[in-house]
Amino acid sequence: MIQTDKLLFQYKKTGYNFSFPDIQLKKQEDLLILGKSGIGKTTLLHLLAGLLVPSGGKVNIDGVDINALSHSKLDAFRGQNIGLVFQKKHAIKSLNVLENLKARLFFSKKKSDDSEIENLLKALDLHTHKHNKINTLSEGQLQRLSIAMGVVHNPKVILADEPTSSLDDENCFNVIKLLQKQANQTKACLVVITHDSRIKGFFQNTMEL
Amino acid sequence: MSVWKISFKNLLSKPFYSFLSVFTLALSIVLLLGIQQIKASFEYQMENNLAGIDMVVGAKGSPLQLVLASVLHLDNPTGNISYHDAKKIGKNPLIKDAIPISYGDNYKGFRIVGTTNDFRNLYEADLENGRDVEKAMEVVIGHSVAVTSNLNIGDTFLSSHGLVEANIETHNEEFTVVGILKPIQKVIDRLIICNLESIWDVHNHDSQDHHEEEHHKERNHDDLDEHDTHKNHKKEALDTHEHYEEEITSLLVSFRNPTGYLTLPRVIDKDTNMQAALPKYELDKLYEFLGGGFKMIAWIAYLILIISGLTIFISLYKMVKERAFDLALLRTYGASNLQLIKMVAYEGFAIVFFAFLFGLILLKTVLPYLLSSTKINSKGIMLQPLPIKDIFQKGIIVIVIITISIAIAVYPIMKMKISNILSNEK
Repeated sequence: MIQTDKLLFQYKKTGYNFSFPDIQLKKQEDLLILGKSGIGKTTLLHLLAGLLVPSGGKVNIDGVDINALSHSKLDAFRGQNIGLVFQKKHAIKSLNVLENLKARLFFSKKKSDDSEIENLLKALDLHTHKHNKINTLSEGQLQRLSIAMGVVHNPKVILADEPTSSLDDENCFNVIKLLQKQANQTKACLVVITHDSRIKGFFQNTMEL
Repeated sequence: MSVWKISFKNLLSKPFYSFLSVFTLALSIVLLLGIQQIKASFEYQMENNLAGIDMVVGAKGSPLQLVLASVLHLDNPTGNISYHDAKKIGKNPLIKDAIPISYGDNYKGFRIVGTTNDFRNLYEADLENGRDVEKAMEVVIGHSVAVTSNLNIGDTFLSSHGLVEANIETHNEEFTVVGILKPIQKVIDRLIICNLESIWDVHNHDSQDHHEEEHHKERNHDDLDEHDTHKNHKKEALDTHEHYEEEITSLLVSFRNPTGYLTLPRVIDKDTNMQAALPKYELDKLYEFLGGGFKMIAWIAYLILIISGLTIFISLYKMVKERAFDLALLRTYGASNLQLIKMVAYEGFAIVFFAFLFGLILLKTVLPYLLSSTKINSKGIMLQPLPIKDIFQKGIIVIVIITISIAIAVYPIMKMKISNILSNEK
């Protein structure tokens, strides 16, 4: 499902060079990428999502060389096949929970199935808040919403950037469990990057940068 | 879910900014279109009421006053002239038509004009009901007069002296309505027309002292003129002991050809104790004067338009800048740059749409109300419907300015580096 080949990236401004070990993930496999701050974790994640263009090497997702796609095709491909989960819990402030998920589906050009959304909201314990505005949600609810936003469109790949670093132990494990459960249900690959070593033992594959 | 819906929700999520943007833009639209409408109505009124009158001959005094009184029926006349002298001028071969008019009285504020039956042909006003005036003390009334004062054919009324309603002194002779004119949106709608004899009769039967006193008051407003008319007046007063000299207020003249403009006014001013005024020239002068005021209001309107453009720009730019992360996030959801630009642009255009709606409603409701409360309306400016062309033209100006605001505001979206934003703001 995910293959990288001798990925290189250079930041033009600072001249930093990163080279990344190759990644080989099959369908439904998961991967934890551990590393200290500043070692290029987020860079690697953005390369996998096609948000950055590598200065060398290739990223292949589900048989598609994403760097060979045109700008707009890559946008569409990313929207449909990749789900990003961020540490910073962001959603469109002017929309409520349900509208955010529907907007997500709209931009990914996926049909919105009310019962599927309902199930997802139930699984993440958000269904009682679906008509609430974003700024009325608690921290934990926002964290779960950002997971919902990452998986609602049934992506083939879920990429999570430091999803647990600001959480206490209990919530940290809950979030990882939720991510894995959602990945399982949609038969997606899950890649988590973090410097949080608490979650080391939970993944099939681990890679240290 | 659609881009439109998201834009709309964005607008609703910041009601104060949205309201401010709509309000300032609507205000500038109201001013721009309102001033245009008043100007257009004013011009229409002026041009229509000239009605082929090339020259007005009347007592010496302010030519503008003479024109305002005799053509637009707004001001008081400069005084009276001898009908005998006026008729002599009318015989000049350069003159096609010369129609005498005579003033003095009103009914409920509507001026009673003594004239000939040719008068209504000047305005191409047809009779709606009844017939033309055939003898003294018969009147044909304009449409507004009929509607406002509820007069019908066969009704009679007493006139009051002077040109304003406030005058409590009334004459004893009764006028009888014999005809009602069709509405034509010209000054004749507000006039009561009788023949010259009616005016002379009414005034002749009144007591001499009363007559003099009243006329004196009426003419008093023009200092330059006073001496002259006063003298005339005395003479007239003496004359009327034996026989009443026929006087009129002014003579409305149309020329056979443009040569008339060159020679006649000069001859009249020099050789007679009357003056000739050219309505077109006088009204152009007046209009130039008013034009400055219109221009200033238009500039203020454009200024407000620019301010509202800035308000919209700031509101959108703020959103693009402050919510860079949200927008980057939308990109990761699969939204294209174009969709994000649309999202912001739709917000701007929604503001324009509501501002136009709000503005036009204000224009339809508030402007007529303002006009009627300032008495301009009753004095002569009938509000014309605003031409679609003008709405269209101002609409384009507004849309261009707002489009520029939107374009500058969305520019950062085009240069957005998603990866940077996502990793920096973490």
